[in-house]
Amino acid sequence: MRSYNLNIAGYNIRLESAEDGPDLVPGARFQRNISDTGDYDVIIRVHSGHFELPEEIERVFVAPYVIEIKGKKINTRENFWSVYRHQSGMFIGTNFPDYSANKKAILKFSLTVRQWDLWIEGNYGSADPLEYPLDGLVLYYLTVINGDIMIHASGVNIAGHGYLFSGVSGKGKTTIARLCDEAGAKVIHDDRLIIRKINSKYHIFNTPVYKDDNPGESHLDRIFLIEHGSENKIVPLKGASAVTLVIANCIQHNYSPEMIARFLGSVSIMCSLVPVANLYFKPDRRVIDHILEYE
Amino acid sequence: MVDLNSVLLHSDSIVTRKTGNEYVLVPVANNIADMNSVYTLSETGAFIWELIDGKKCVEDLIEALIREYDIDKENATADVLSFLDEMDKYLIIKGI
Repeated sequence: MRSYNLNIAGYNIRLESAEDGPDLVPGARFQRNISDTGDYDVIIRVHSGHFELPEEIERVFVAPYVIEIKGKKINTRENFWSVYRHQSGMFIGTNFPDYSANKKAILKFSLTVRQWDLWIEGNYGSADPLEYPLDGLVLYYLTVINGDIMIHASGVNIAGHGYLFSGVSGKGKTTIARLCDEAGAKVIHDDRLIIRKINSKYHIFNTPVYKDDNPGESHLDRIFLIEHGSENKIVPLKGASAVTLVIANCIQHNYSPEMIARFLGSVSIMCSLVPVANLYFKPDRRVIDHILEYE
Repeated sequence: MVDLNSVLLHSDSIVTRKTGNEYVLVPVANNIADMNSVYTLSETGAFIWELIDGKKCVEDLIEALIREYDIDKENATADVLSFLDEMDKYLIIKGI
């Protein structure tokens, strides 16, 4: 197809093939996000071919490609994707590790202009314009534009309460999401979520990481920073301690003090409005009862 | 090396946010935030941090702490010097 719209986490993203662009084939995991909304938060025009970055460009952020083997994170490539700045223009240059050929792309984007351009190198008659890692990067910069937050967390709605269980790898996000699922909760996602403030209330959204992910959301009532423990225990956190611990789990690749300040402001305001607590837990059903009794 | 006459400034390599009476301080290196080395300043630390303005010297900070918290000079000096030592990466000594 030549164009389509996606609604992911409430963001309307329009993908449009330029005259020189490939046919657009949304990946299987995006099928449930295809929408017919006319409005859009961002429009991405997709071109085929090489885009030459300006010579004087400044690279402001470099992400290595990290894989996890037996619990250890290993950098396999020096440059997976990078963010560049040139005058008022921003660019992302990326490889596609899930793709067999040496495919590359450049996304020209902006935090103020809602029309972006994507060049996919090579002679592809058709392409998924949001192939990993572009999917996450486009969503990430939409969170930046909107003052929203992307976080390592599992999110559930149980007995009408929206909870976020946040922690880096190994802290138990998937375990606690499974325990909630077994207790009848609606699991929004078990790894990564977007938090948005809509009409003065905070909401959590999943994103289409897997092809069978149904779009999901819940209001957010409480944030738990999880840790395995010898007993189930909830310890409320306030002020700077809450902010510090929450931002450590947020996904951020800010490249200027202004962006960092804005992000810090978003997290601080959220932590002043949504209760934050440490949750030490044993991995069985009793932790869910403990949380519900705490309400 | 800081002495009682040293005048201090906040470094540009840190982004701050006040939350209640406390501060969250995020170190920035090459424009990238180091979220794993975030500092929090308690009420007293926040009080000293806010006094640092490129004009007041260390002795002024100590005197202000004595007045605010009604503590003796020895303790106030120890508190201020300990704070400045801990935060020295994020402070610039301007001189006398």
